[in-house]
Amino acid sequence: MNSTGTNALRHAVKKSNTDAVLSVRDLTVSFLTNGKQVPVVRGIDLDVFANEVHCIVGESGSGKSVTSLAVTGLLPVTATVSGSVRLDGVEVIGADEEVLRNMRGQDVGFIFQDPATTLNPVMRVGRQITEGQVVHGQLKASAASDRAAELMAEVDIADPKGRVTQYPHQFSGGMRQRAVIAMAMSGRPNLIVADEPTTALDVTVQAQVLSVLLQRQKALGSAIILITHDLGVVAEVADRVSVMYGGSIVETGTVQDIFDRPCHPYTAALLRSVPRIDAGDDRLKTIPGQPPTPAELPSGCVFHPRCALGAGKTRCQTERPQLRAFASGQMTACHFAEEMKPDRPSTTARAIAQAERAEVKPLLEVDNIKVHFPVKKGILRRTVGWVRAVDGVRLSVRPGETVSLVGESGCGKTTFARAIMGLLDVNEGDVRFDGRSIVGLSRKAMRPVRRQMQYVFQDPYSSLNPVLSAADIVAEPMRLHGLFEEMGSDKRIAELFEMVGLSPSMMGKYPSEFSGGQKQRLGIARTLGLKPKLLILDEPVAALDVSIQAQILNLLQDLQRELDLGFLFISHNLSVVRHISDRVAVMYLGKMVEEGACNEIYENAAHPYTLSLLSAAPISNPGMRNQRARIILRGDIPNPASPPSGCRFHPRCFRATDICRSQVPELATQSSLKTTSICHHAGPLDPKEIALASQAEGGI
Amino acid sequence: MISYLIRRILQLVPVLLVASVAIWAMLYAVPGGPVAMIVGQDASQEQIDAATRELGLDRPLIVQYADWVGNAVSGDLGKSIFSKEPVVKLIGQRLPATIQLAVFSLLIALIISIPIAIISALNPGTWIDRVLSSWSALALAVPTFWLGILLVLLFAVELRWLPSASRYIPFWTAPLDAMRNTFLPALTLGVYVSGILARFLRASLVGELRSDYVRTARSKGLPERQIVGGHIMRNALIPFVTIVGLMLANFLGGSVVTEVVFTYPGLGRLLVQAISTRDYPLIQGIILVIIVIFMLINLAVDMLYAYIDPRIEHK
Repeated sequence: MNSTGTNALRHAVKKSNTDAVLSVRDLTVSFLTNGKQVPVVRGIDLDVFANEVHCIVGESGSGKSVTSLAVTGLLPVTATVSGSVRLDGVEVIGADEEVLRNMRGQDVGFIFQDPATTLNPVMRVGRQITEGQVVHGQLKASAASDRAAELMAEVDIADPKGRVTQYPHQFSGGMRQRAVIAMAMSGRPNLIVADEPTTALDVTVQAQVLSVLLQRQKALGSAIILITHDLGVVAEVADRVSVMYGGSIVETGTVQDIFDRPCHPYTAALLRSVPRIDAGDDRLKTIPGQPPTPAELPSGCVFHPRCALGAGKTRCQTERPQLRAFASGQMTACHFAEEMKPDRPSTTARAIAQAERAEVKPLLEVDNIKVHFPVKKGILRRTVGWVRAVDGVRLSVRPGETVSLVGESGCGKTTFARAIMGLLDVNEGDVRFDGRSIVGLSRKAMRPVRRQMQYVFQDPYSSLNPVLSAADIVAEPMRLHGLFEEMGSDKRIAELFEMVGLSPSMMGKYPSEFSGGQKQRLGIARTLGLKPKLLILDEPVAALDVSIQAQILNLLQDLQRELDLGFLFISHNLSVVRHISDRVAVMYLGKMVEEGACNEIYENAAHPYTLSLLSAAPISNPGMRNQRARIILRGDIPNPASPPSGCRFHPRCFRATDICRSQVPELATQSSLKTTSICHHAGPLDPKEIALASQAEGGI
Repeated sequence: MISYLIRRILQLVPVLLVASVAIWAMLYAVPGGPVAMIVGQDASQEQIDAATRELGLDRPLIVQYADWVGNAVSGDLGKSIFSKEPVVKLIGQRLPATIQLAVFSLLIALIISIPIAIISALNPGTWIDRVLSSWSALALAVPTFWLGILLVLLFAVELRWLPSASRYIPFWTAPLDAMRNTFLPALTLGVYVSGILARFLRASLVGELRSDYVRTARSKGLPERQIVGGHIMRNALIPFVTIVGLMLANFLGGSVVTEVVFTYPGLGRLLVQAISTRDYPLIQGIILVIIVIFMLINLAVDMLYAYIDPRIEHK
């Protein structure tokens, strides 16, 4: 095919087209599983226009990713697709493979979730960016390298000429995702499909990547389909939103309408169940149950088993609602949308445990600990340097109190937690548990301490042994400590199951028979068997769906109240942290930079890093989008083996001066500060600063 | 890189020392010895003592060992008890033959296995995948000596195209003759190993086909051929070279059964002879050489990793 000529023609046709870039009608996708057709997408309609960001929101199994792959037939061969998908006026369903292949990369560009795996690890990044264009004859192979550098420059990758010949592992996560954006946009497609493009990234990097994406969209005028489970991201970037549940779109409308006047009970419930970063709230309103799996969809309205509005209404159980026009432009798939009561999100502040507990003796006291790993080099493997993973952190947790540790990946929060558990050697400083130093204890001496201090892992899928029954998993720690009989054997296990909201009838089942949320409950039950005083929770809800996350957070809060547990909560999710914490400590590159009462950190932070983190975090309120100033951090977290001189944050800091480069900052002592921060220029954010900070960014 | 290479080679030294002790311990743990083989069953005590003295076997074990190691370091592995020839010379005669056979066998194995693996990985679960997978199973299941005998019957006895007993003719002196003589044993070995390699590469390719970067490549509109050739192959090769290296090392250690079936003058047959005559110095020498070959190939595979996979840096 004469590609240059055809391309010119194609572009001419594109430009004159004012219709939807993508038009989906009655799309149905099912997969052949165990000899049965399982419907994953059940008849959806969708229109996406140029210059528009259309967000598809949904939990796992809602069919949102499958919808996006169906757009150019990228689904596996086991999928059966029907309905109509028109991209730039061309029908995709049933189209010839060669036609589809030509659409990919030219008419539609894809951005996938995990930039660590989307790029081929053994191929140079530059080549991967332009490969598609070369194949489509839009670019000569000899000009590919220069074009790749140009595209990289457009997504703000520094030193693009040098980066072109590098491999993905030489890029940071944020840079990789920006390279993927460059790749997706290289053919100047009319449609970009971005499937959870920032889920694997830290908040500051997420802000960078989203702003690059929108900036490139503005330049090209493309339409974007952005698939996400993160309502904060939706509020920040969407123009229109479609909410998916159980393979159908249940509500669609403008972002402002969806957030202000949700007209489907699921949307309303979802919005209520998300912790908010802009307001403290006492207790999350959960959606009972869990999202349906495509193999076992409920009859009638798929949401009816979890719906408060539809409870007891036979019509919801028998008749499947169709998407229909509701209020101004909004569409809903609810029989009884008219009966929904408008509700404001609760903003009752959570009772802070701290004041009344000031006198209680701390359970855990960490005194300036350092954990360093040697860097070895040369024939004799001599130690030539140290990675200062944790370099002086001070922290204490009282019974019944939640202290959160926040910071971006690589800041040392997990190393810190593992050092406290005695899983890593502490090079300096002291850790006291119940008043007793536990640094350097022998394994035997550590055992009774470990009983009282338990660890809940992030990933409930891989942290449970798949060949043990649920009862054995929960019994294991008690057996290891020889306390199974003493604790009450099976009776104790049944008790623990009930405590975490699992039915004791599930005791004989295996982890694979549990859903994600149930697995995490099991993980929590396992830690409670030995009656611990302290739980170290390492990102316990990061792998869970939004509605399940709320259930687990509520469970943790109930358990804390009942058992007077101390929590050390590790997370990068600032909304969750605000919701659950009494006090918050912020870490950057192995150092604690700021610490204080939860509300003070969120309202009156004084350290520029904390301020940047908070400003980068998305707020689930589209009305705030344009009113709020943004500090977008430059660059990436430096290598902890050779941290910057003086204050470690200075190369990325908007307040940095000469003193920051040369002197390590001390505790800031100004009496006006409401938090403890370690900074030469601690203080609340001045509106003028933001203007300066964003100017220095050169408009990223 | 250079520093890494030096360190890796230095690491070979302790391994070799341990291995040499193991070789000695093994030999002396086995009953019988070269003396009994030399003097025969009806020998008198004097004859036995004399032979023992002559071979230096009356000295304390530790002295014998130290002596051997000292000589080995300077490249002298002693003399064969029976042929009285230096062990190094005997091995030197056989090693090129073994290398030639090993290289041929591996080439045949690769030529058979790579297309099989690619075709079945790209068509999983189809009839062609099943046919090709059963080939792999069959290749693994058939004993090499039996396949060797069948091939001799067909090509040498019935068709008279190829010689039944394979001589070693260096490839560079007479390529055609060399190939005629090496083809049957190489095919026997190659077929067997192709089964292993095809299964391995297929599994590796199927795993790569499911990875995210393949979806990315598809989303760019690359044709399937380019996805397999440009993206998947190099990733799938990373685990594949490990097994190829192991197979090559195996061949170089001598393929005893095949060499015996084809009366091919390789290292494997020499080792069998040495063991049956309890020729201690020769056994020790051959095993030492095999161990060194194994380790060098391992090192080569590790260097190859760094070439294939840019994420691996040898520092």
